[in-house]
Amino acid sequence: MKNRFGWFFVSAWLLLLAGCAGVATKPSTIPTPSGTQPRQPSEGAIIEPVPKSAMSGNRAVIVLLDRAQTDNESGQREAAGASLERALRIEPRNPWLWLELAQVRLAQGQYAQAITLARKSNSFAGRQHRVQAENWQVIGQARVAQGDSAGAEQAFKLSAKLAQQAKAEADHNSGFNFQ
Amino acid sequence: MTSASPLRKKSRFNFKLPGNAVRLVALLLLLGLSGYIYYLDVTIREAFEGRKFALPARVYGRALEVYPGLKLTREQFVGEFKSIGYHENPQPDEAATYKNTLNGIEFTTRDFVFGDGPQPLQHLRIEFADGKVSLLQQRGSKDVDLPLLRMEPPLIGGIYPGHNEDRELVRLSEVPKPLIDALIATEDRKFYTHWGIDPRGIARALYKTVTGQRIEGGSTLTQQLVKNFLLTSERTLSRKAKEVLMALLLEMHYSKDEILETYLNEIFLGQDANRAIHGFGLASYFYFDRPLDRLGPQEIATLVGMVKGPTVYDPRKHPELALKRRNVVLQEMVSQNVITQAQFVAARQKPLGVVQRAPAGTSPYPAFLQFVHHQLERDYREEDLRSEGLRIFTTLDPFVQHQAEEALKSRLAEIEKARKFAANTLEGAVVVSSTQTGEIQAMVGGRDARYAGYNRAIDAQRQIGSLAKPIVYLTALENPNRYTLITPLDDSPLVWRQPSTTDWKPQNYDRQFHGQVQLRTALAHSYNVATARMGIELGVEHILDKLPLYGIERRPPPFASSLLGAFELSPIEVAQLYQTFADGGFRTPLRAIRAIVTAEGTPLQRYPLNVEPVAAPAPVYLLTAALQGVVREGTAQSLINWLPAEMNVAGKTGTTDDLRDSWFAGYTGDRVAVVWVGRDDNKPSGLTGASGAMTVWGEMMKNIQPEPLQPAMPEEIEMVNVDPVSGLRYDEGCKAGMLLPFIKGSAPAETSPCGASSAKPDAKPGVKQDTGKKNWFQRLFN
Repeated sequence: MKNRFGWFFVSAWLLLLAGCAGVATKPSTIPTPSGTQPRQPSEGAIIEPVPKSAMSGNRAVIVLLDRAQTDNESGQREAAGASLERALRIEPRNPWLWLELAQVRLAQGQYAQAITLARKSNSFAGRQHRVQAENWQVIGQARVAQGDSAGAEQAFKLSAKLAQQAKAEADHNSGFNFQ
Repeated sequence: MTSASPLRKKSRFNFKLPGNAVRLVALLLLLGLSGYIYYLDVTIREAFEGRKFALPARVYGRALEVYPGLKLTREQFVGEFKSIGYHENPQPDEAATYKNTLNGIEFTTRDFVFGDGPQPLQHLRIEFADGKVSLLQQRGSKDVDLPLLRMEPPLIGGIYPGHNEDRELVRLSEVPKPLIDALIATEDRKFYTHWGIDPRGIARALYKTVTGQRIEGGSTLTQQLVKNFLLTSERTLSRKAKEVLMALLLEMHYSKDEILETYLNEIFLGQDANRAIHGFGLASYFYFDRPLDRLGPQEIATLVGMVKGPTVYDPRKHPELALKRRNVVLQEMVSQNVITQAQFVAARQKPLGVVQRAPAGTSPYPAFLQFVHHQLERDYREEDLRSEGLRIFTTLDPFVQHQAEEALKSRLAEIEKARKFAANTLEGAVVVSSTQTGEIQAMVGGRDARYAGYNRAIDAQRQIGSLAKPIVYLTALENPNRYTLITPLDDSPLVWRQPSTTDWKPQNYDRQFHGQVQLRTALAHSYNVATARMGIELGVEHILDKLPLYGIERRPPPFASSLLGAFELSPIEVAQLYQTFADGGFRTPLRAIRAIVTAEGTPLQRYPLNVEPVAAPAPVYLLTAALQGVVREGTAQSLINWLPAEMNVAGKTGTTDDLRDSWFAGYTGDRVAVVWVGRDDNKPSGLTGASGAMTVWGEMMKNIQPEPLQPAMPEEIEMVNVDPVSGLRYDEGCKAGMLLPFIKGSAPAETSPCGASSAKPDAKPGVKQDTGKKNWFQRLFN
């Protein structure tokens, strides 16, 4: 009888351990396309996902973004990339699309390409601090993977600064929004 | 006679054991025969197995993406329908049909398997307003708005197996029953019961041969298939014997259905320039532009009739003979109860109904297809390309391609006429790509765009002249402490001594020297001397070292003259060079292929977008501003005759010694294009960049309707109001002056009171002035 209870506790303890390990080994830098879940920049401020309607005014582009996201979530990176390229043919200067593509390349482990695409997104971003903040996140994560921790730190700092600016702007704008 | 006795002796000796000798001979014969049969067996099985799967690679152009708001006219859309083989039909509910309505078009798409999965047939409605798509709907009991539609891509060519055989594979189950019945009724009524041969037919053929008549007929479908495999047309008895043996062997190994299916896909049914049409599946498209299952009895009869003689009964070349033969087949069909009497009467009265399409050779776009093939050869074995039925999705845009072809053809003819040149002495090439993705949308290899020969877009190596100058200017602008757009350059006489070459004394095109000129002016007017002097100061090697970054792998000679383009490149290489300038310093390798999919629809390979930062965005932004100056006020001013100033096109003319080569390379908001015009014999063409290539570029772009160029301004750039003459900064709020971009910190610090300057620019006594007056001269000559 005693033995049986002993087994019970040991098994429960093992299960608990396994559960913790599962959480702990989950890579903290799994990139997800923006809009799927809140992103956590290094400063700790949670950024709300950007609604797709803010990424493009063209429904065709949004359809393709949705499709890319579904493919990316199911690990179909190549297909996600293909849909994003289709969207880019429609809106080649949309920084959000370049950012999404950068995130797919990051997930594929193509770090140099991810950095370049994020930079390209930045070149089209103008004063859109939100997309710039996300681009620097991608650059930071890619640099971590490349072993450039100093460069990564710099990128994360810049990202946080831009995110705060974006947040301030958003708050400012919503202050005028009485609806 | 003397030799007879030993022989007899021998034979007498052999006579003692007659059975043995006969057995030996018989055994040897049998061995030889079985060896031969075994050889035939292996041969025919290899042919059968191999041929069953020899499918050419199919090459598709880009699929048009349609969505509300897209810039597209009804005419353009109908053009797209033509390129993907849609037909007008008052009831557009069948696949690939359309009907014009008051505001738009109703149509039905086909099922199509894309690189990322299948897309089913859809019934749709589209409307247009103000040159744009205003509505896109799915037609049904309730109409539903559709945000995005991907049309089927146009088939633009194939990469065919040996002997340029093309086929469209059909499964036996997909072949309409009347076709099979008609074929068996006319060609081989005992097909399902014989062993591969028809003894009576053979006997008849043998009799005719023996009596000296033509060898003919008596072939079963199996024999015909064997004959097609052997690919010889000799008519000898031994070949006939071989054919019979092989037919028997084939029947031993394969079922009737397998043989019939292979026959339906294998039989030769016509010739399209150098492409051989094999099988009923492809023949149906080739003659009627429809799949087999949509053919009427009379069309089935036409195809079946052609089996007897594809050349003699070619419905395009010999319509009367084809019609007669068709009606014979129809008669057979009715007598074998394949069709009813009523169907027979109706079918007999119908015309042949062959689509009158000019045979297009292997592809209407040979230059582009050649480029695709070269790219594929790097990654695939030639035999796989020719036999695995790969589906290759490319970037070609038939609309852009058409505009490029037409502009080159019409402009060259007009130039020859206006300048009284002998007709067809000028040649040219065009490459158009998309700025941000590097996709090649059009490639024209010569003014006869259908000719699959010398592809000037890739193979013509010509001196690029002033097209090289932006490399020098970009290198200069990368040093904002030394060079800005208004830095004065010295355009006075220059002698350059370099070991192992003679002294170099560059001249300007107008044979004048212009003293001090601003950097932007020197590029706008393409001054050689000022450019050469600046380039030498920057270092010739240093500048040429940058070429690989921009995708130019060839190394020009290390001479100062290389700075002025005294080296050869092909139009596609120039396009790659300007792509980087157009894309803000990001190099995207030019691509012609997007994806490759297996015959079954499984993705095999993608050629994803690849971007590399090779030049800092800020100097590239300045270079683009300077290249916009070339069009606004420099050597390419007359582009205004084709494109409005608001397009803000950036571009550069190029002219080589004795007017041998005329170049224009430029970009809009969405496209980069390069045009070369010259003569194949490298004799002077009599054209400058502006009077030749630029006019082709302008004509083409006018019809493509590009997006205006508004490069994204990098953070390091600020706009400063300067006095265009003195180069001094104007006070804040001054309305006069010119807004020019500067890398932050490099703009002039010294200010000038508003409107103070009235002096001529770059004034220097005794030197020809760079004034507006000379512009007509510039316009005319470079």
